[in-house]
Amino acid sequence: MLNIDIILNNPFKAMGYDNEDLIPEGGFGAVLARAGVGKTAFLVQLALRALLRNKNVLHVSLDDPVNKVGLWYKEVFNNLVKQYNIKQSNQLWEAMLPHRFIMTFKAEGFSVPTLEERMTDLSEQDIFSPQIVVIDGFLFDESAQKWLSDLKAIARKLSLHVWFAMRTHRHEEPASDGMPVPFSNVSDLFDTVIQLQPKGKEIHVLSLKGGTSTSDSSALCLDPSTMLIKKQ
Amino acid sequence: MGYDVKKLRNIGISAHIDSGKTTLTERILFYTKRIYAIHDVKGKDGVGATMDSMELEKERGITIASAATYCEWNNHEINIIDTPGHVDFTIEVERSLRVLDGAILVLCAVGGVQSQSITVDQQMKRYKVPCIAFINKCDRSGSNPFRVIDQLKEKLGHNAVAMQIPIGLEADLEGVIDLVSMKAFYFDGDNGENVRIEDIPENLLAESMDRREELIDAASMYSDELTDVILEEKEITEELIIDAVRKGTLTREMTPVFMGSAYKNKGVQPLLNAVTKLLPCPSDVENEALDMDNDEASVILESDPQKPVVALAFKLEEGQYGQLTYIRVYQGTIAKGTTVYNVRSGKKVKIGRVVRMHADNMEDIKKIPAGYIGALFGIDCASGDTFTTPGVNLSMTSMFVPDPVISLSIVPNDNKARINMSKALGRFTKEDPTFKTYVDDETNDTIIQGMGELHLEVYVERMRREYDAEVTTGRPRVAYRETITRKAEFNYIHKKQTGGAGQYGRVAGYMEPVTEEDFMFENKIVGGKIPTQFISSCEKGFRLCLAKGPKMEFPVTGVKVTINDGASHAVDSSEMAFQAAARGAFLEGYAKAKAVIHEPIMKVVVETPTDFQGAAMSLLNQRRGMIVGSQDEGTQSVIEANVPLAEMFGFSTVLRSSTQGKAQFTMELGSYKQVPQSVAEELIKKAESEKKSKA
Repeated sequence: MLNIDIILNNPFKAMGYDNEDLIPEGGFGAVLARAGVGKTAFLVQLALRALLRNKNVLHVSLDDPVNKVGLWYKEVFNNLVKQYNIKQSNQLWEAMLPHRFIMTFKAEGFSVPTLEERMTDLSEQDIFSPQIVVIDGFLFDESAQKWLSDLKAIARKLSLHVWFAMRTHRHEEPASDGMPVPFSNVSDLFDTVIQLQPKGKEIHVLSLKGGTSTSDSSALCLDPSTMLIKKQ
Repeated sequence: MGYDVKKLRNIGISAHIDSGKTTLTERILFYTKRIYAIHDVKGKDGVGATMDSMELEKERGITIASAATYCEWNNHEINIIDTPGHVDFTIEVERSLRVLDGAILVLCAVGGVQSQSITVDQQMKRYKVPCIAFINKCDRSGSNPFRVIDQLKEKLGHNAVAMQIPIGLEADLEGVIDLVSMKAFYFDGDNGENVRIEDIPENLLAESMDRREELIDAASMYSDELTDVILEEKEITEELIIDAVRKGTLTREMTPVFMGSAYKNKGVQPLLNAVTKLLPCPSDVENEALDMDNDEASVILESDPQKPVVALAFKLEEGQYGQLTYIRVYQGTIAKGTTVYNVRSGKKVKIGRVVRMHADNMEDIKKIPAGYIGALFGIDCASGDTFTTPGVNLSMTSMFVPDPVISLSIVPNDNKARINMSKALGRFTKEDPTFKTYVDDETNDTIIQGMGELHLEVYVERMRREYDAEVTTGRPRVAYRETITRKAEFNYIHKKQTGGAGQYGRVAGYMEPVTEEDFMFENKIVGGKIPTQFISSCEKGFRLCLAKGPKMEFPVTGVKVTINDGASHAVDSSEMAFQAAARGAFLEGYAKAKAVIHEPIMKVVVETPTDFQGAAMSLLNQRRGMIVGSQDEGTQSVIEANVPLAEMFGFSTVLRSSTQGKAQFTMELGSYKQVPQSVAEELIKKAESEKKSKA
């Protein structure tokens, strides 16, 4: 008997999210953090939790090759099964894999039409139809607004939940709404914005938009040794 | 010549079929005075037009396609190393690419970047081999070297930069303009051996200036010094440009492009100059070995002749004086009379005769220092073996040899073929540890085993081509396995006590699935219920059952047997009796342990132009493949998938036809996984019908 229930015990309830998707269909979510704080680990956990709920996850990486992204999943999964002492984890892993598809692009070769073309290719041939899309390495620069609007249209059309990772910088002062400046221009497109904030030895999971936690206090944090989400 | 590693080049010539590799190699050997006459591949009557280099070699008695041909140019020593043409990702290809330090990528000025150019380019990329390009056949109608340069950029993603422009094209090709020295090169004499250097013709001056600007602009990316000179508007020397281009070439960030027509004897000498000036010498290249004492951790070797020896035997050749072993020394010096250690076999070997290969003869030498290539006589070794100074346990190749996943029966067509086949198999098994052969006890057929369908096809083709052994092949068979999925108990009595010497033994315990090892045995007998001297017989009995599983006669793996009870008879118990009891116990437990069939799942990597990504994915999907992901690399795309080997038969043909021959794939064993129920049923049916037909 696979003890999935423990994993599925939604930790985000503590942050005011009743639904573990955190975002509605066609919605955008973002994880903001400085380099090396744990954006990818956090996104991979969201993806793994979705996979355990038999959702199809498309992981798009603009930085890393397929095998490196695969290693992230394996590593986080191993930590997860260890933490919950799950036997027969191999079977669970094998059962999950067909629900995951990794797509990587060289950052300069990425464009929304290309991504749409690839996704259409996959679904038309009945190879893979994503429900959740995780985009890691997306550059929030001047062209981001146009691209995000296009992506939003696709997300709505295909009822996707789309997650982004965004790197913030220590020296940047936040905008008046508390968001990092480059993100502030596009934040209205996002339903949920989560920030990972190192405080002492822990990494706090703060909600900048959506949920009930504030930027001052958080009910969740990341365990720095395993990068797993845990309650404070 | 002396030993100056800075003046040594170990290069390969990679090309699409028909782009003129043989003609170019031939001209190189002629201009470097290794051969004294030029014979055309295409004879006057056109008969020889399709000759391949093997046939040409036989006819000419030279060794164009030998493992390494040595020549000299401008006080530099050049070893031209043969790169096997087959696309399959075999150990042999890997080995020959390891020996190269640089390469000339030959392209046809008419055909441009063709599918095989993509293949060879990807091999170079995989092994980080720096290369220069030569656009051949500029004399042909329809030739357009600048279109080929664009294709190099678009299709192969090279930062290709012209180092020359042609003087005339097609039938009017007269020579080339060197954009570094800004001189025109003409090739006079019967065979173009007299290079005449003149000023650039007036009508080409403007184009030359423009192209030179492009070249300097591209080269300045790799040299601050050159950038400074440009900014300060000082005179740009030839050395500055060459140094910058060399830096870009060595890091594979730039591909300098040369052009000409080997057949019309134009542009070969400047290409040879470029080999000496732009391609790396052995000490420019970082070579890695694996530390066998440290879990195959990688160790960087130093191209220093004084350090302990690390050398790789990369090719064996059967000559009239016995086995000739081609060797590349990466570190230290191999000298006549010294003793080295074969890391694979653990044997010490004394070096006897050391030679250096010329085009058609050999020269005895005393030593082979780091970076050099030579050949040894009378050394018993396999291809891919590493030789080191005794006490150094480094290997150039991984010692991990995966089990073969596919087998094929081969039957020689006649007696001559039988003898040649046996010779060929002996050689191939020595060359390639992943290629195995045995004779099936039941059918008496010779079975060859390897890592994939193409792998075996290559060897069957080589048997025919190189050994004149015509064989008929059977259907390829996948190496399935059986295993159990649940714990099951057994309690079996083997009893024969009716007349004569009796047999008695009882074995009880349980079997359970394990993943760590193929077979584990644990003895939990207490109180001497099975006497200690019979425990090993029990283990042997269980082990004997593993070779042919009770379900489908496939090998059984992943089983742990624990015995915890039993009984013996003071007179009738024997080793034989307990072996038989263990066999019975195994069958009893196995029947209850829900046995399943496992099949090899291959990690398949398809490299395809992005336009065909969808088609390639669809092919993988149709083959019970699970696509792990896709990697978009601009014009090319890489798809990674896990596909059952049984579904991969004929994949290369289908992939080629669906992608206009532009995609290629590699595969290696990933894991063994349970076959789906429907496939298992098919297999059982098939096995039953085969049994019936045999009966």
